Amino acid sequence: MNYVILSAILFTIGALGVLIRRNAIVVFMCVELMLNAANLAFVSFARMSGNLDGQVIAFFVMVVAAAEVVVGLAIIMTIFRSRRSSSVDDANLLKY
Amino acid sequence: MTAQEIVFLLLGVVTVGSAVLVVTTRRLVHAALWLVVSFGALAGSYLVLTAEFVAWAQVLIYVGAVVVLLLFGVMLTEAPIGRSDALDSGNRWAALAIATATAGVLVTVVVRGFKDAYLPPRPGGGTAGVIGSSVFRGWVLPLEVLSLLLLATLVGAIVLSRTDVVREPSDDHDDHDDHGDPADHGDHDGQGRGDA
Amino acid sequence: MNSVSVLAAPEIHAPPVEFSQLAPMLIVFGAAIVGVLAEAFVARPARYAVQFPLALVGLAAAFCWTLWLGFSEKPQHAAADGAVAVDGPTLFIQGTILVLAMLSLLLIAERAQDAFTAQAAALPGSEAEQESMADGGIQTEIFPLTLFAVGGMMLFPAANDLLTMFVGLEVMSLPLYLLCGLARRRRLLSQEAAVKYFLLGAFSSAFFLYGTALLYGYAGSVRLSAISAALSRSGGSETLLLAGVALLSVGLLFKIGAVPFHPWKPDVYQGAPTPITALMASCTVVAAVGAALRVFYVAFETLRWDWRPMMWGVAILTMMVGAIVAITQTDIKRMLAYSSIAHGGFLLTGIVATSESGLSATLFYLAAYGFTTVGAFAIVTMVRDTTGEAGHLGRWAGLGRRSPVIAGIFAFFLLAFAGIPLTSGFTGKFAVFQAAADGGAVPLVIVGVLSSAIAAFFYVRVIVVMFFSEPEPDAPSVVTTATTATAVALGLTATVVLGVLPQPMLDLAGQAATQLFVR
Repeated sequence: MNYVILSAILFTIGALGVLIRRNAIVVFMCVELMLNAANLAFVSFARMSGNLDGQVIAFFVMVVAAAEVVVGLAIIMTIFRSRRSSSVDDANLLKY
Repeated sequence: MTAQEIVFLLLGVVTVGSAVLVVTTRRLVHAALWLVVSFGALAGSYLVLTAEFVAWAQVLIYVGAVVVLLLFGVMLTEAPIGRSDALDSGNRWAALAIATATAGVLVTVVVRGFKDAYLPPRPGGGTAGVIGSSVFRGWVLPLEVLSLLLLATLVGAIVLSRTDVVREPSDDHDDHDDHGDPADHGDHDGQGRGDA
Repeated sequence: MNSVSVLAAPEIHAPPVEFSQLAPMLIVFGAAIVGVLAEAFVARPARYAVQFPLALVGLAAAFCWTLWLGFSEKPQHAAADGAVAVDGPTLFIQGTILVLAMLSLLLIAERAQDAFTAQAAALPGSEAEQESMADGGIQTEIFPLTLFAVGGMMLFPAANDLLTMFVGLEVMSLPLYLLCGLARRRRLLSQEAAVKYFLLGAFSSAFFLYGTALLYGYAGSVRLSAISAALSRSGGSETLLLAGVALLSVGLLFKIGAVPFHPWKPDVYQGAPTPITALMASCTVVAAVGAALRVFYVAFETLRWDWRPMMWGVAILTMMVGAIVAITQTDIKRMLAYSSIAHGGFLLTGIVATSESGLSATLFYLAAYGFTTVGAFAIVTMVRDTTGEAGHLGRWAGLGRRSPVIAGIFAFFLLAFAGIPLTSGFTGKFAVFQAAADGGAVPLVIVGVLSSAIAAFFYVRVIVVMFFSEPEPDAPSVVTTATTATAVALGLTATVVLGVLPQPMLDLAGQAATQLFVR
């Protein structure tokens, strides 16, 4: 159970990071923290409920996260090369 | 306090501490390095939870691949290595309040939900063999779709970053084999993963 | 797979996979893989001629197979070891997605007025970009990427457990993130849209995943039927369950674009290449609403007294904010984006009804709305000036005098969005509101009608601009090509037919809904 509390705290730290950080790469690191928090919850719930599904899901999530990193970095690199900065708040051509 | 609880406490402190540092440090590269510490401690937690395979996958995929990719990203975007104050947006106190509230709610939820849930650890619960047979018994379709996801990602990343798509358009229409090569190579990669 | 399973443990039996029921998805994915191979082995000048027919034939074949599955009265059940549920609603949604994807593909394949960059990696404004544009090349990888996204869209609403749903969500989203950044004009805007969409999308899928984790902790399984079973013998971890439902809903509502989670929608719709916007506005919405229907009808049905108030709030906010903010927009694509947000609210009313009639009404609405949307965005791609598409509403002034047919068709689409009788929009709204009223959500219906009235105001404003103001001297002209015209004609036909003769389609949706969802 302690592990689930740990994962809840980790998830919140990640979410907080997404909200306060401006650099796209750091924001992305924080999303990774959130995914890891979900993984920890899956693994500890797998232990509690006594079936393996949680561990399998954690493995799947890792693969998806790796794919997400590739796509994310490709997109961030493209915009950096056009604009020489990867700060999220500078992305302001799109306004309400 | 059993040995297990002490190990958990240590790992938990390291994980949370380094995660906080990822979020607060003013140096981009440090954030990535603290991420390594956090992921490593999590791998330790998985081991304590007898999820052996997941722990090694965590080390290989997250510590080994994801963080390295992120560091490459930092390097290629020529981000400032030293301190930079421009990393935070202005709304940090509002965000802090929201985060504390969320953490409170989540922790209460978990505590109330699992007050007495405890299972003694069973060694050997998460070896590669057990996980493998579980994957191929119950999760075949998602696994196969996952391989397609990797292929799609690969193609997409090549589209965004390959610069030699059209070079000197007027006079070298005859050596398409040359240009076709990188795509060809990438495709073999994709097929390899698709089969796995 | 075989070799691995032999190595791992000899006693593993191959799990049953019902290839016939999964065939529509497999065909789309297969076409995508053949497309990737074509990228590698076909000479560049010939690639377009290979990729476009390949994608179109793949989608059409998958659609035919879906029709066959729908009309052959087979017992329908969960396929592939329970990972995918092939039932009436799934087939209806998959069929809708396939047809709408074919229409969007016609726009994507438009060559006379390329919406896509010739070389994504070339810097905007650089010499390499000029060169690749002059060469007239096209990044043909968009075809396989689109097919991968469509395959993910088909898996997302069909998934019978939350893990498969998550994988489907990612297969659908990752190619779309990439495609968003490939616009030919205003490339910075397009790339920023891709970054925003990606970061917010990854953020929301983390919420979806954590919700899944909490539900797994609650039920001990991620299968929707198992969660539902755990609910009915409930007790104990009630709060855990509610937190899981809330987090999962965040992920789903983000993809629908419901209001607290909508800010990405106008930005991404504006920045993305218009054909991709058409694909997102039609197919992604259909897939996301389909997945939300399945989650809320199958897994959380017994819990509906708990989640309904939340959905009420979200639906009301979505309808009102979408309609009101749309009034202030000056860009045609942003206006359509806010209109699509408001329509997401109407769709949520159908979900709130939680009844068979609510399900069939939502299915009909999805089909009707999808056709009108693709048609409207097709017209947006046709109205062009020297810098590309004429996005600003002011530039559309007097279009009704210069090209009355196109302006008339666009006006008709707008009236269908507004829900004027004898258009498909009216039938859809009527069905959804009736189902919601039967389910006791009368206040929601009143808000819906109010929101429609507000929305009608800005649709009519666009019509007035088009028909009753003088065109500027350098006003944009209408560029008509065969593929785009086909997409517009099909969208128009569907909007008219579903408005004048809705009964066959309503019957089809009703028939699909009779079995509700398999568990």
